[in-house]
Amino acid sequence: MSRTLLTGNGAAAWGARLAGVDYIPAFPITPQTEIIETIAKWIDTDEMNARMVTLESEHSMITAAGAAAATGVRVFTATSSQGLLYGMEMLYSVAGWRAPFVLVNVSRGLSSPLTLEPDHNDILAARDSGCLQIHCSTCQEVFDSMLIAYRLAEDERVRLPVIVNLDGFYLSFTREPVEVPDQKAVRDYVGSYDPETTLFRASAPSSQGVAVLGGGPYSYFRYELHLAARNALRVYDQVAEEFGRHFGREHAAVEAYRVDDADIAFVMMGSFATKARAAVDRLRDAGLRVGLVRPRLLRPFPEAHIKRLLKGKRGVAVIDQNLSMGLGGVLHSEVASALYGQDGAPAMLLSFVAGLGGRDIADEEFFEMVAVTQRAIEKGEAPPPRLLYTQAELREVRKLQAIAHVEYEELNRASSANEGDRQ
Amino acid sequence: MFRIRFHGRGGQGMKAASRILGNAFFIEDYEVQDAPRYGAERRGAPIFAYVRAGREPINERGIIRHPDLVIVADDSLVPVPGAGVMSGVDARTVILINSEESPQVWKQRLNFEGHVFTLPVETADRAELRFIGATCVGAAARLLGVIKRESLAEAIRQELADLGSDMVEINLSKALAAFDSMQAEEGRVTPAVTESAADYRPPDWIDLEFEDARASAPAIHAGATSVEVRTGLWRTLRPVIDHDRCNRCWWVCSTFCPDGAITVDSEGRPQIDYDHCKGCMICVAQCPPHAISAVSEQDAQAEEAEVAST
Amino acid sequence: MSKTQTKQAPVSEAKVTVYRRMKDLPSTHLLGSGTAMCAGCGGLEALHEVYDVIGAKSIFVNAAGCMTLLSVYPFTPFRGSWLYTAMASAPAGAQGVRDALDILKQKKLMSAEEDMEVVVLTGDGSAYGMGLSSTSGAMERGLDFLYLCYDNEGYGNTGQQYSGATPHAARTATSKGEHGFAGYKKDLFSIWTAHKPAYVATVIGTEPLDLARKIEKAKSLKGPRLIIAMAPCPTGWNFDPQHTVEVGRLAVRTGIWPLKEYVDGNVVHTKVPHERVPVEEYLKLQGRFRHLFEPQRDETMLAEIQARADAYWDGVTQ
Repeated sequence: MSRTLLTGNGAAAWGARLAGVDYIPAFPITPQTEIIETIAKWIDTDEMNARMVTLESEHSMITAAGAAAATGVRVFTATSSQGLLYGMEMLYSVAGWRAPFVLVNVSRGLSSPLTLEPDHNDILAARDSGCLQIHCSTCQEVFDSMLIAYRLAEDERVRLPVIVNLDGFYLSFTREPVEVPDQKAVRDYVGSYDPETTLFRASAPSSQGVAVLGGGPYSYFRYELHLAARNALRVYDQVAEEFGRHFGREHAAVEAYRVDDADIAFVMMGSFATKARAAVDRLRDAGLRVGLVRPRLLRPFPEAHIKRLLKGKRGVAVIDQNLSMGLGGVLHSEVASALYGQDGAPAMLLSFVAGLGGRDIADEEFFEMVAVTQRAIEKGEAPPPRLLYTQAELREVRKLQAIAHVEYEELNRASSANEGDRQ
Repeated sequence: MFRIRFHGRGGQGMKAASRILGNAFFIEDYEVQDAPRYGAERRGAPIFAYVRAGREPINERGIIRHPDLVIVADDSLVPVPGAGVMSGVDARTVILINSEESPQVWKQRLNFEGHVFTLPVETADRAELRFIGATCVGAAARLLGVIKRESLAEAIRQELADLGSDMVEINLSKALAAFDSMQAEEGRVTPAVTESAADYRPPDWIDLEFEDARASAPAIHAGATSVEVRTGLWRTLRPVIDHDRCNRCWWVCSTFCPDGAITVDSEGRPQIDYDHCKGCMICVAQCPPHAISAVSEQDAQAEEAEVAST
Repeated sequence: MSKTQTKQAPVSEAKVTVYRRMKDLPSTHLLGSGTAMCAGCGGLEALHEVYDVIGAKSIFVNAAGCMTLLSVYPFTPFRGSWLYTAMASAPAGAQGVRDALDILKQKKLMSAEEDMEVVVLTGDGSAYGMGLSSTSGAMERGLDFLYLCYDNEGYGNTGQQYSGATPHAARTATSKGEHGFAGYKKDLFSIWTAHKPAYVATVIGTEPLDLARKIEKAKSLKGPRLIIAMAPCPTGWNFDPQHTVEVGRLAVRTGIWPLKEYVDGNVVHTKVPHERVPVEEYLKLQGRFRHLFEPQRDETMLAEIQARADAYWDGVTQ
């Protein structure tokens, strides 16, 4: 085992390499490209015994990934943002084939407007695809999650694709120390891929991904897919526990940080959750009992863990790095549905939308979210959802709009009309 | 509310028939719902369509479970389980069948006490098939008793205008003749009373259990299972080989049969698999010595039944 | 129009083929009956002839189209394997399967006897349009696969709307106007051959010997091998199903559907209709062209279609 500095992309590539991946259908997209470039180099230098093929699109890439997994090889692939959406049709399809493989998504905000920087709207668009989702907050976790993901995907109680999600820039291009175990230790943990009977061989004809007629068979196959995804909760706990025994690192389905005695908890996913962790320490120093609840698994949704961890809290601040247009934060509504009607459910469940398109979240913003939550508890009334956005940011946008020849007079008229609406 | 179900084969105009009836009700100021229902199969395969019509806005949706009137454009569909012609039929349902057999024969055959009416339309001539829908809808309109003759005519003009005036005229004459022929039976169809929420049979819901992907992925673990589908039921015409005339050519019929339903035995004699022959008649058109002829499927089946009984 | 070189098939080839005469064609068939295809389907006719030559040691990777419904759970007509992908990416599915089989052989996890011919099956809607990028990608990567497009000149499975394969003047569900479809059929054969794949051919089920020889040849080669099968469509083209073979024969005899193959950089016409039948003989059998004859003949359009067919053959040197 060696401890080395790796980017999140590098950690993902190492995970694929040590997991003994046979096949990598690929397509380049920022900020994921380093993953496929790294693997391509290893294959060229014979450090990795695998085949990589660049397809002509992510739609084709995911098709090839599912088809190869269905034929019986271990498959890895990676994409980001627009690419994930371009392949979206096939994410749903290959999950339905029950073809297990691992896809890394390097999160990046979605167009339009186009951006390169991260938020979680891309990965959440795949929420209902049948692909499972593990969300990482450090480069070490990216590496570890790769190995856990293969165990989870290939388990006969699951057999579904797993997406390992890491944030663009803040993980993809950020180096951190990562413990990389040796090949044998990884092989002992991951094992080899047994495609069982669902594969293509000349001696055993099979037809896969066939159409059905009528709601009866359709409901059966789709609900079985759901049950397999639900099984993944139990299987995840087992393979994560086994991972801990092999490598000494714990990766619970939901990370709980200083939650037990907390009055108020943050709930958030992804790399910025480490900032929330730091904020928790500072708030504790200031005498406030605050904790962090971080779902690593988003699908299947670990509502039992969330219920248990949030039970008895006086207030919860859910921080969403995504926006469901016309609703608000996705995680907020998922947490709300898990808590609804539960004994000991927190009275205050606040929604904050932050970090869209890579927008930073400052320490004082974490502190303020706790202050707002405290006030809500005192008043017994939750404020409306808030976008974390400052006067300074709007001023900057105004400057850009001026250069873009946005007519200020019209703009002012529009905003005063809005004010009128509000009154 | 009236609940009316049309059964036919793809290509027999059941969708148009249901829309004509929908139009006619609409002209009579009814609230209307009409829809076709397709499966995977194409021309020749069983399909159905349905119409609901009432004086109040219609909230019911989807398939009709208990029809007041069942219209069968093709009597060969009645014994086909997948066609579901008799599904949900009870003693008060009126059945209208396009058949050369008498209503009495159908009542016996179906062990059915209620009203059966028949419409003898030529099905052996494929050119006539196009007008089955018009005939059926004309008769149905009269049986319903609430659609005026001129409303029916207007409904047909509205629906078929795109086909040109010649087609409209032919369809009108067929439909109106059928309408007139049912004069004595006007108003035979009565709407059923809707089911009670106080007294009903609860559904036998189950909790679906997890089954692993070998069972629960949409995969077929064997080859050529499609032979279990009896596409021979699509056929209205049957190709029959005159083996005395067959000159044992290079099996033109077998090669060209899209469905692989003609095999050649060791002596070079072609054999037609009637379980799967869809009745396209390519073999009839292509046989070099004209040794294959087309006969009406109904006649062929009647003949078979006769042979079997003697 | 540029002149297309045409060469007579080498004499030696006749010895190689097992399909020397009609009697060599199979009299029993591999593809299971009982499919949901329309009665008289010209695409199914071609497919069952193709399948007899390819054999059951194959996996068909299917794109969305009429033939999606060949396999409807739990029924499949294939004696070998099948994978349904999506409209745009069947060649990518073939890539995944082919690569996986090669990896398994290379890593000695599967014996060579378990290997299969990978065959993409698509309609013209996918082949000429949505799937073209994926097909181009598979060719540029030199994928070892067969590709069969059944071309019924429209989006048949959805009710025959026009596609990139629809011929000029044809009436479709989305070109019901006086003059039918205003566009022209895309030259997919040339688009494919521009990629310089191992083999490209046009076939039709109504010329079964020509078809069998081409599939046999394609099977003997490695790399991308692509076939367009014209698929007379009783439902979409509006003719009685019994006329499928007649319509197909006339497509060839009028020169509307040239039977040809591309191999080693050359295009060879495998069946040259020397006495070409006037195109109207082909057109008048089909309801989709009825407006060219009724209520009165559209001489201008008929002449244009004839001129296009003539121009094509004028460009063919023999």
